[in-house]
Amino acid sequence: MKVGLSKTALRLLLLILTLGLISGASVSTAQETIKIGFVADISGVGATFYKGQKAAIDLFIEELNSSGGILGRKMELFVRDAQLKPDIGATMARELVLSEKCDFLIGGTSSAVALAITKVAHEFKKIVYFHTSNGEALTTTDFQPYMFQVVPNTGIEGRGIALALSKKPYKNYAFIGPDYAYGHSQYESFKTDLTKLKPDVQMLEAVWVKLGETNYSPYIPTLMAKNPEIVYSNFWGGQLSSLIKQAKPYGLFKKATLTSMYDLDLLRTTGADMPEGMLGYTRCPFYAIDTPTMKEFVKKYLDKYKEYPSDWACMAYDGMVVLVTAIKKANTIDSDQLVKTIEGMHFPSLRGDRYIRAEDHMANVGLYVGTTVKDPNYKDFLIMGQVEEIPAEKVWLSVEEIQKLRSKSK
Amino acid sequence: MNWIAAALVLILLVSLPFVLMKFGKIGEYWVWVSTEMIIMGLFAMSLNLILGFGGMVSFGHAAFFGVGAYTVALLMKKASVPFYLALAAAPLVAAIAATIIGWFCVRLIGLYFSILTLAFGQLLYMIVFQWYTFTGGDDGIHGIPRPEILTPTNYYLLCLLIFVMCFMLMRMIVNSSFGLTIRTVRENMERSKFIGINVRSYQWLNFIIAGAFAGLSGGLFAELNRFAQTEFLHWSKSAEPILASLVGGMYSLVGPAIGAAVLMFLKIILQQAHKALIETWAIVLGCILLLVVLFAPSGLVGIYRKVFSKSE
Amino acid sequence: MTFEYFVFMLLNGLSQGMLLFIIASGLSLVFGVLRVINFAHGSLYMIGAYLAYSLSATLTDGSMLSFLALLVAVPPAVAILGFVVEVTLFRRVYREEHLLQLLLTYSLVLILDDVVRVIWGGDPRNVARPDLLAGSVDIMGLALPTYNVFILVIGPVIALGLWLLLYKTRTGNIIRAAVSFPDTLGALGVNVSRVMTATFMLGCWLAGLGGVLVAALASVDLGIGMEKIIESFAVVVIGGLGSVGGALLGSLIIGVGITFFQLPFGRWALVFPYLVMAAVLIIRPWGLFGKPER
Repeated sequence: MKVGLSKTALRLLLLILTLGLISGASVSTAQETIKIGFVADISGVGATFYKGQKAAIDLFIEELNSSGGILGRKMELFVRDAQLKPDIGATMARELVLSEKCDFLIGGTSSAVALAITKVAHEFKKIVYFHTSNGEALTTTDFQPYMFQVVPNTGIEGRGIALALSKKPYKNYAFIGPDYAYGHSQYESFKTDLTKLKPDVQMLEAVWVKLGETNYSPYIPTLMAKNPEIVYSNFWGGQLSSLIKQAKPYGLFKKATLTSMYDLDLLRTTGADMPEGMLGYTRCPFYAIDTPTMKEFVKKYLDKYKEYPSDWACMAYDGMVVLVTAIKKANTIDSDQLVKTIEGMHFPSLRGDRYIRAEDHMANVGLYVGTTVKDPNYKDFLIMGQVEEIPAEKVWLSVEEIQKLRSKSK
Repeated sequence: MNWIAAALVLILLVSLPFVLMKFGKIGEYWVWVSTEMIIMGLFAMSLNLILGFGGMVSFGHAAFFGVGAYTVALLMKKASVPFYLALAAAPLVAAIAATIIGWFCVRLIGLYFSILTLAFGQLLYMIVFQWYTFTGGDDGIHGIPRPEILTPTNYYLLCLLIFVMCFMLMRMIVNSSFGLTIRTVRENMERSKFIGINVRSYQWLNFIIAGAFAGLSGGLFAELNRFAQTEFLHWSKSAEPILASLVGGMYSLVGPAIGAAVLMFLKIILQQAHKALIETWAIVLGCILLLVVLFAPSGLVGIYRKVFSKSE
Repeated sequence: MTFEYFVFMLLNGLSQGMLLFIIASGLSLVFGVLRVINFAHGSLYMIGAYLAYSLSATLTDGSMLSFLALLVAVPPAVAILGFVVEVTLFRRVYREEHLLQLLLTYSLVLILDDVVRVIWGGDPRNVARPDLLAGSVDIMGLALPTYNVFILVIGPVIALGLWLLLYKTRTGNIIRAAVSFPDTLGALGVNVSRVMTATFMLGCWLAGLGGVLVAALASVDLGIGMEKIIESFAVVVIGGLGSVGGALLGSLIIGVGITFFQLPFGRWALVFPYLVMAAVLIIRPWGLFGKPER
């Protein structure tokens, strides 16, 4: 038995090695393209976000290449599935950098995966940008210079919505949200800021629901028991849609308003189940942003994919805009030089003129607040009306606060 | 013959990173992958002590892997303990966890044992997930420091050294009278009881040993990725070494390690092979596993034995 | 807590439990007869939900009649899929070890989940509730959704149906015999493999039914199969592997338990199913309704 075993081991190892080397060698051709590695979350609940992100990035690259590329080189996209799992995300990021020889990385949807990817990017000095995952830690305690973020982060989001709500008459709040890190950190910063801005606010109830739960029958009555005027929720995607659908017959929307993130994917999924007059916010609503770049982008996107671009699509596109603007300006793809270029750089965002703050590499992207309405232009879903942007400068952490956070974590 | 082959494999494995590093970045990537393969191989081998040799299917083995990972992460990040000490603590803490969980689990047999390990595994997962102040919840613990000396190559060699030491240790255990007794219990529990073997204590001890090895592999994995994460304790992580053991063959010591390497290799190569596979690689992997179940139930080692018809 | 509120919460918990029962009873039946823990049960349930979405998109009128059409058409479709899977794959591994059977169902999960993504894409899908079930009824001054009432009715109907099938028909007798005395059954001239196929299809039918019911309750996305499988598993373990009555009791314990435990314990209530599962296994490993195996 022993003889068989070690021989087996030997032969199998040899087989693995040769296969590995062959596959490694076969991809090391054509150095002339600029390679972008997208560590996406494709499986499970990540799929819906991925669709828009990928479509927008593809569109951008296609455009760029048809107009001759950049620095005389074409761009090429490589995608890997992180499956919403940080360890797999780290492995895939490493593979994209080392094996596919990617020059840049793009993050995915999960903020836990983002934390893992940003470490890998730092290790290999490759620039990575985040467009959908929005942990504030990426720009504070876990900051590394080869990273920039083009999505309003949890801090901007939590404080932004708190600022908007503090101007409304509501006093009695209840909260329902997903029981994981994003849910908690976002709720904490929301609560702290709201009570700071409006000390007479009461948080009557906080209900935490398991991530992925579909049946809210046990939770909605608890939420309503203390008769709040307003319910705040940081659910997203399918779970938020489920909550809205199930809360309606309980009469929640007759008694209270529900404030949450009403991004385009959610509005589309919820369709006619979405009640009118709900005060909500979102990260990048194409229909409310009146810039020529956005109009042009929506038209092209609509032509190609026969649907409107989700918030994630717009933001993923914006990240590419930053990257290419910087490469043009610096006339190189060297990471260190690009980092210097990006710091403080203005870029033609779909959201108008924006810049990357030098100290934390956060784009000054604000939060959009509005109220749900039916609109004759969009038959299948509601949109938000009277949308106003809360500028990032009003709510993001000051440079001193960021440095305090960083020194504390060290 | 036996020793020559073993020595050859060892020389090959030791020289592997130096050869790979010659290939530049791609080589460095494969050093990373090989390190991960070694760690997951150790994890799979640790499970196989109870699975293949003990005949007990545990669905909660990732609990000990995770405990080991969190031990290293917490000690290094929060208490600034040096890496080698933290790594030494990983199997100890995992063994303590296995002692407690094992005490309950070995009271049950067959499927009920499996289910109870699953229940405890998920319980531990939930606790780590919910205990924000201590474990960081599902954000996990990031930024575990890395000693300067541990370059990818050196870390690979360290993992290989530990792997080989564990392999020798496991071989000793499996071939000792303890190992023989465990196998006797697997073959016939009733008879073992009649001849006066205290079945439960043996299984309990085996469970603890397996847990300790799993903890060690978890600790190595945490340092490799420089973070610990709740996913490490999830039941789907427990499924990985089971799959590896089945693919590699569970009645041999190295089988599971080979299985782990092959599975990881497939996952990577499938996504590299073709763009269309990036979104559908799981289907292909599922089909391959189906084929293993239907046509090669004794795993790769079994195929090898059949093909080369080695006498046992 | 007022009495009204208590009753209201109880009804909510029960409706949660009933839905869980429909899914878990299928898992339990399949285990009882086939002795296979079917990890792919969650995927079949998800397929049921997506089929309901596709069919409802073609019916479009949102009437009670079209919803009933979903309830009639989708579960058999899932059962037919189950038939194919059983005949081509499961049948080959009944004599193999537990572990290989598990690997088979696990690889099915990988395949089916991704096939669903390829067919339906990743977006969450929504099936509108029929007008008749979209409103709410007044329970002592509190509004309970009519749809929850509907689930509260359909759950016991299914439980009763299963009981009649298992205890009052010849087929049921054979299935129960297959649970208790698998070896003798063949000797008595019963076509055991046909019994197994039929049971597997029944299990899939129940998964499909659960899928339709959840599609109109919540949004359907790719995570729902994984989310429910472990919970159903806990239910089956608590009730006793193979026991439909046990699955009913287990579902209600978990549904009502989570509902009430979240009041004092908040998010720690989520640990509850696993605690009960571990406790039952330690004290009474064969489950509350099961029989100890020798």
